[in-house]
Formats: sequence, C-alpha cells, structure tokens
Amino acid sequence: MPIEPVAARRRAADAGSIAIREVSFGFGAGRPEVLDDVTFDVASGEFFVLLGPSGCGKSTVLNLIAGFEQPTQGTVLASGRPVEGAARDRVVIFQDSDSLYGWLTVRDNVTFPLRVQGIAARERDERALAALKVVGLKGHEDKYPAELSGGMKQRTQLARALVLDAPILLMDEPFAALDAQTRSILQDELVQLSVTMRRTVLFITHDIGEAILLGDRVGIMRAGPGSSIKETIVVDLPRPRRRGSADFGTLYERIHRSISEEVQQALRREDSLL
Amino acid sequence: MYHRDAARHSPMTTTSRAGISVDRLEAAARRDPEPVDIGNALPPVRRKRASRALLARRSSWILTALSVAAGIIVWAIASRALDSPLFPSPVRIAHALIESIGDGTLLVDIAVSVRRIAIGFVLGCIVGVPLGLAMGLFPLVRAFCDPVVQFLRFVPPIAWLIPAIMWFGIGETSKIAIIFYMTVFLVLLNTMTGVAAIPRNQLRSAENYGVSGWQLFAWIVFPATVSYSVAGARIAMGNSFAAVVGAELIAANAGLGYRIVDSGQWMAMDQMFAAMLVLGLLGIAADRLARLLAARFLRHYVHSDHAD
Repeated sequence: MPIEPVAARRRAADAGSIAIREVSFGFGAGRPEVLDDVTFDVASGEFFVLLGPSGCGKSTVLNLIAGFEQPTQGTVLASGRPVEGAARDRVVIFQDSDSLYGWLTVRDNVTFPLRVQGIAARERDERALAALKVVGLKGHEDKYPAELSGGMKQRTQLARALVLDAPILLMDEPFAALDAQTRSILQDELVQLSVTMRRTVLFITHDIGEAILLGDRVGIMRAGPGSSIKETIVVDLPRPRRRGSADFGTLYERIHRSISEEVQQALRREDSLL
Repeated sequence: MYHRDAARHSPMTTTSRAGISVDRLEAAARRDPEPVDIGNALPPVRRKRASRALLARRSSWILTALSVAAGIIVWAIASRALDSPLFPSPVRIAHALIESIGDGTLLVDIAVSVRRIAIGFVLGCIVGVPLGLAMGLFPLVRAFCDPVVQFLRFVPPIAWLIPAIMWFGIGETSKIAIIFYMTVFLVLLNTMTGVAAIPRNQLRSAENYGVSGWQLFAWIVFPATVSYSVAGARIAMGNSFAAVVGAELIAANAGLGYRIVDSGQWMAMDQMFAAMLVLGLLGIAADRLARLLAARFLRHYVHSDHAD
C-alpha cells in the first residue's frame, strides 16, 4: 500500500513535482541509447531515490531534470511545466565538490546564487548564514573550499542549494566520495533535514542501504544500455530508520536480489553479443 | 590493596605531582574545549618537526650561500688558471660593475632594457588574455584563430628579429614588438588551457543559478583561469630577458644586450660579464617578484585538487 509522505500533503499538488514520460536519451546516432522509455513520477515533497548499477544512466536522468541535457524523445516536467534548460527551481548538488568556487569563501559560495539574482548584500548574508546554520557550518563562513574536509565541502554545496528555496533538490550521489563515517553522519542529517525542509528530493545512489535509509520510494533502474525503471519500491518503514532492523534487512535483500538479476542479465547479454 | 600500592608507586603518579601529565592535559582539554596554552608541553614529535622545519629553512639559506660561493670560487680558479684577458677574475668583474654603476652607464642600460621588456610584456598580456579567453570560450573564434596561432608559436621570436628591425628600425619599436610577440603566444595558449580546465560542474552550477553571460565571464571564467594566465605570463617574463638581449645584440644603441656587444668589441670583458651578471640578477628579481605577488593575491585562485 503506497503511503503518502507527510511533507507531500503540505504542498500544492504540482509545485515541486517531477514527471518523466517515455523519455529516451542518446549521445547521437551510431551510439547506444543511454535511456530507453523511462517513465516515473515524483510527488511534491517526496524523497525519491534512483538506484541502479553504475553506468546505468542514473546521472543522465538527473541531468535531464536539471535541464543540462535534453531528451531525444519523451517529456520531462518539473512543477508541471516542461523543462527547458537549467533553472533555479531545481538545484543540483553534485558528487564532486569541484562545483564549489575555489576563489570564494564558504559564505561567498553560498551567497553566489543570490548575488546572481541581484539580491542586496545584507539579505544575502542573512540567508547564507541561516543556510549554513542548517547544515552545521556556522563558524566556517570565512574558510575557503581548499581548507574544508570532504564532508564540509558537501555541506557547503547543500547550503548553497538550500539558500535558493528551490522546491526541487537534485542530489547526484552527493556522499559517494566521502569516508564511511562522514557519509553516515550526513545521511542521518539529511533524513532530519528532509522532514523539516519539505522539498522534493531526487537522490541518486548505487548504495542500497543509503536508498532505504533516505527514500520514501526507491526506483530501481535496469542495467544499460537502453536503461529504464525496472520497478519502484515503497519504503514503508518508520523514520528514523535503523540499518540493523529486521524490516530494513528484508527490504535490503529484496532490492539486492532485484539489482543482482539486472547485473547478471546484463552480463549474459554481453556474453551473447561476443 | 595491591592495586592501590602499585598506583602510588607508578611513574604516572610521580609526573602528576610534578605538574605535567598527559592525563591532566587531556582532562583539561575535556573540561575546556578552547585550546590551552601548553607552552613547553608541546608533544615531543611536534617539537621535533618544528625544529626540523626551522633547520630546513636555515639550511636552504646556507646552501644558497654555499652555491653562490662555489660558483664564484670555480670562476676565480678558472680565471687564475687561464690567466687571460678574455677571462677576468670575479674581483675585476665586481670592479667593472661598481664602476659602470658609478658612471651611470649601467643604470641607463638597465632602464632601457627593463622599459622595453615592461612595455612589450604588458601589451602582450593585454592582448593575450582576452584573446585566449575568447578562443577558449567561443569555438568559432578558436577555429578561426587556432591555425594561425599553432603556426606562429613554432616561429620563434628570434626569427622575427631581422624583419622587425627592417620594419620598425633599430629603436624601441622593434624590441617591444619582439617581446610583445613572445608574450602574446605564451599568455594566450595558457589562458586557453585555463578555460578548458574549468570544472564542468562549476559551469553547470552557474548555469543552474541562472547567471547571465557577463556574470559567467566575470565571476566564473575569469577568476577560474587567472592562475593559468599568470603562469603563462611568468614564463613569458623569463623569456623576455632572452628576447630583449637577442634584439639588442642584433641592432641597438643602448640596453644590456647592446652593452654586451659593445664591451665585446672593445675587449672589455669585465664590463661584458658585469652586464651579464645584472641580466641574471634582474631575471631572478622579476621572477621572485611575480611569485611573491601571485602568493599574495592569487592564493585562492589556484585550482585545488579535485581528488579530495
């Protein structure tokens, strides 16, 4: 039975929703399709995790929603409107912290999106400070990215996204490059944050545990080329979720089996091609 | 009973009484998260490391001095052994140096050469940076300019000396043109590389926030590439000395290169070497100055490693 997340009910139906309809994508003629007939919806305020083996085109889906790439076929809707290029209502948090501007302090990095809009310095600083407080970086405003740890860099990216009040957050394996401890801490914080911040999150990962820990629903992708959504699983566990619990383990096994099947089928396909 | 006895006689208790112990410091740190001034209680490893760094700094100065001294000594021995007017001793070169500073000729030569370098270098940067940015940013500009640039970068400035003198005369213009030519290519190519090296995520995030064209240029592209431009400019600065001397050797009526030719013709070898000595020192000074300025103003503009 699909449960409707609490946050989803608080929002107007369309604002912050994502809809992907029969989307295909390829990098031009003669090269294999990356995505073939991808369809799924993310409700407003929902935390949706896209999970799949590496190279299956998860990031491509995110890039299509972000507007960095255009689909060869099908439609991508954000807040009910067709996506035409990147926009401030869908903010991306990248896996690599090289998206931070090395010549700006943490504060100036976070205020950057507001500076672009021509918002007055005073308001910028206030909003940046609030965002930095939320992600636990208060007191580090004057540091430069090179002086931050990997986890702090990702917190800065998160603050820079939060400062915009965008209804949709697109997170592209933001914790994948971090050490296990830092990753686990940031996951817990994101869980707490997602309850209070009431935004739609599309979160990409190849880590099953992370998917169950964070997601309202988990969309499992097929192995590429020509990937699509294999199945969508509702994570019907109360929060905060514990990795050790029995329900967690059962769900983990189920998703693990589903992905293993995919990977094995992909290997068989490759074998038959050879 | 036994435990209590052992504790009383353990070395730890003794140190505690003496005032310093690791336990006490740790307890203090637990109570007070602010860093405490622990003075001499700095862990021995760190003290050792600090002294090693100091030693390294000092020994680098000592080694520099030794290196310079060794050079002078080798030169002195060679000139003594050869005993030829073509190979003046360090003392005679020093004399000539002081003399030519005293009568003003050397200072004029320095001023003339430095002025040529400065004008050519600055003009080269003014043209090279925007052109490199444009070539890096706009595929059409790159496609149009690249063949010419690729061709000309393999025609060295020295090859242009004769035509430059024929076109512009033996005065300032031909020298400045040569320095300009060399600087433009180095700065341009480096700047272009810098644009290509901007992390894609930086451009995408900027796009995400809705930057306008000029915002992208002024707030992302320019600061992201400035360290590359400066690196090119530094190489150009170094090569400028070679280029200006080359130009002045061929045809000039003042400058350090001219002084070398002129002294050679009069067999004034000591004056010639004095001019060469000044060239080397000026080069070092210019490079040090550039490095100092870069460290002062461009510390945060250098690309941090992406690996971390």
